[in-house]
Amino acid sequence: MTLRRALATVLPRSLAPRLALAWAAVTLVVLAATAPAQGIGRDEGVYLVAAESYASFWGELTRSPSLAVATSDRFFAVNHEHPALAKEIFGATHAVLTLALHWTSHLEGFRFGAFLLAALLSFLLAKGGFALAGTGGALLAPALFWAVPRHFYHGHPAALDLPVTALWLATVLAYRESVRPDQPTGRTCAYAVATGLAFGAALAVKLNAFFLPPLLLAHALIAWTASSKPGRHPVPLALLAMAVLGPLVFVGTWPWLWHDTLARVRDYLAFHLHHENYSWHYLGRLLREPPFPIEYPFVVTALTVPAAVLFVYAGGLVHGLARLLPSRRPAEGEGAPGPRSTSDELLLVLNALFPIALIAWPTVPHFGGVKHWLPAMPFLALLGARALVAAGRLLWPNRRALVTGVLSLAALVPAVWAVVHVHPYGTAAYNELAGGAPGAASLGMQRQFWGDDVVGLLSELNTHAAPGARVWWQETALPAVRAWQRDGAVRTDLRWASGPEDADLSIWQYHQEFRDKEFRTWTEFAEAPRARLPVRLPRPVAGLYLDEVPLAVIYARPGAWR
Amino acid sequence: MALGASGLVFYATLPARLPSPLDWRSAAVLLARDARPGDVVALDPSWAERGREVLPASVPVLAFPRLAGEDLLGVRRVWLVALPRAPGRHATLERDLVARAGRAFGPLRLGGLEIARYDLRSPLLPLAFLPDRLATASVSAGGEACARDDRGAFRCPAITSVVVAREEREVDFLPRPCLFAHPAPPGAEPLTVAFPDVPMGRALQGHTAMVGEAALTASAPVEVAVKVDGEVVGTAEEPPGQLGWHAFRFDTPRAAGRVATVTFTVATADAARREFCFDAYTLP
Repeated sequence: MTLRRALATVLPRSLAPRLALAWAAVTLVVLAATAPAQGIGRDEGVYLVAAESYASFWGELTRSPSLAVATSDRFFAVNHEHPALAKEIFGATHAVLTLALHWTSHLEGFRFGAFLLAALLSFLLAKGGFALAGTGGALLAPALFWAVPRHFYHGHPAALDLPVTALWLATVLAYRESVRPDQPTGRTCAYAVATGLAFGAALAVKLNAFFLPPLLLAHALIAWTASSKPGRHPVPLALLAMAVLGPLVFVGTWPWLWHDTLARVRDYLAFHLHHENYSWHYLGRLLREPPFPIEYPFVVTALTVPAAVLFVYAGGLVHGLARLLPSRRPAEGEGAPGPRSTSDELLLVLNALFPIALIAWPTVPHFGGVKHWLPAMPFLALLGARALVAAGRLLWPNRRALVTGVLSLAALVPAVWAVVHVHPYGTAAYNELAGGAPGAASLGMQRQFWGDDVVGLLSELNTHAAPGARVWWQETALPAVRAWQRDGAVRTDLRWASGPEDADLSIWQYHQEFRDKEFRTWTEFAEAPRARLPVRLPRPVAGLYLDEVPLAVIYARPGAWR
Repeated sequence: MALGASGLVFYATLPARLPSPLDWRSAAVLLARDARPGDVVALDPSWAERGREVLPASVPVLAFPRLAGEDLLGVRRVWLVALPRAPGRHATLERDLVARAGRAFGPLRLGGLEIARYDLRSPLLPLAFLPDRLATASVSAGGEACARDDRGAFRCPAITSVVVAREEREVDFLPRPCLFAHPAPPGAEPLTVAFPDVPMGRALQGHTAMVGEAALTASAPVEVAVKVDGEVVGTAEEPPGQLGWHAFRFDTPRAAGRVATVTFTVATADAARREFCFDAYTLP
């Protein structure tokens, strides 16, 4: 049997799932290939520890179920402020790829779970894009999502933001199918169950998913009110499935909740309801506590999504809103591609706006850049893809594919350039409207976050640090350093320092809110005062710069850098 | 299409708008040759802090967004090292310098860098910068003398939270060389720092501040009473909840031309988390 014939038997027959699978495969390969360059952020370092611990539990469960359940807290105490599912997936891929097969480094093994969820996102975007705008939509929707440096960045770490984004999209697309008026009853039920399961998985990844039920309920009620067939039941079956299956999946995948369930759920919610406000630099001022500026997520989006892609997103949103107008509204059940009803259009627009609007609320903590409203972005990509296809049809109906292709290249080529240019320092990415990293620095925007950019200095650190030197890593967390040491990316003789006082080397990472850490380093590492001469302050011995904007520098005591 | 094209142009031309390693090396060679004591480098824009790494260690580097209102203590000449084509750069530093200095050199273009030298018309040259004289000072708190540790900081046995040290600390995001002086709690004998044999002039000037975000949590001011040879010349007050490097100035005409003991007494009604920092210098 030839390879072609073998593939033909395995691959689906229709184009949409083939394109979706192709996108998923490309996503998996590209992320796996580019991940080793990316550092380990503060959160990811903790998730790696949690993932391994959780995987140990599931292994123990297969060997000794009653003992495992009785001692589950021992495994799940670490990082119990977030649900377990994503970390369990990271732990599983690590257990298989690294511990069993020895195919990958430890870090890559954990991250492979994240790549799988990113591949799922691409698959769903291509499927959704096809449903909205045919082949063009399937090709463009994933491209418009991934050709954004910060999105591409979030595809790599074994963290929670991209996974919950994928599962949010999965929930909404399944819900969308379940409420299709032309759907046979059996498929409606199947999609309703899929909605419930996807929602449960999303809940089991990150807190954002708690906002899905009210959003979808609002959608259902608005659609019901506006429907030409008001006799239909206002609450779709999918919402009932979410109510039943969501909590089951949430609790079932998180053994921490198997004991003292209600009290621990309450603690979990309370932790996030009273989340600490991290200081955050924004347009030259430091945001410390509420009320935060309402425009923050809109401005940050406008300054970080590549300009042409941003324009396509905005165009897609306007196009979607225009299609909601009564004069432009297609009748229910009108053939694909395109919206099947007002309800469908409303669903896409609501999901493109709601996650951003949620963070705009002045009392919601503002930090972390676009990751907190990342679930909106796939919907903007879907709407943008459809708008590009529609623009081609409108501008030159006989050559619509060509026009759409040229417009898409105009949007995507500079964006992909930006992705390549910035990688792996995605949290420092700003678009050409901001003036890139230099323009954003002049505007007084947050330079970076999560402490992973230090990865760009590891080579110099390993080469020049004195044997046994104590390193003050500052924003880089101890679990991240341990993970690097485990994989041989950081010398194991280098020791942890908790401040400049006990450090030989200090790695200052540019966060305006922590500037005192750099100046304390100057104090500690300064040359001894000489009579009648000013104090001579230390200078960095190495630095990491993105377009001349410093991201991290290393200071050394005399003799600690060779 | 236009946005796409502008995006391409932006990324294609960005490297040429910024200095190369060779440009920085050229600047370093120029400064190593021509800079002298009393010179500083000002980076423009202030985020261009690669200058700290590559420019000669003998020339202090300032990465301040503005120079208007800065004392520039002991500085006679400022080398402005600018990235003239960097996105988002405004020539505010240049304007600040033109207001108080004359351009004596340049601008010289070194690839993506531009260097000019400004000579201050009225440099502020102190007779004594007191934080640098901490080694000669005596410190007490809670009625007991404090002792210097091996790092040169004074630690006070009567009240262990009280520390006096010469440090570089962050005030409103900028580095300030100062005396870090954690005050004693209310009710205890206040913290006193006395500098003997200080050359005096017509004025004693300085600043007070809270370090970092400690400024935001205070409920009462920190007061610094200043005496010259036992005579009170003034009291500076660090207001609660206000970020900033707050200036004070006391005239000392009667002590001008001689040496004197300058004593600072630091007191507050709220000593919790008071990371207090101050400097002081005497002027001719």
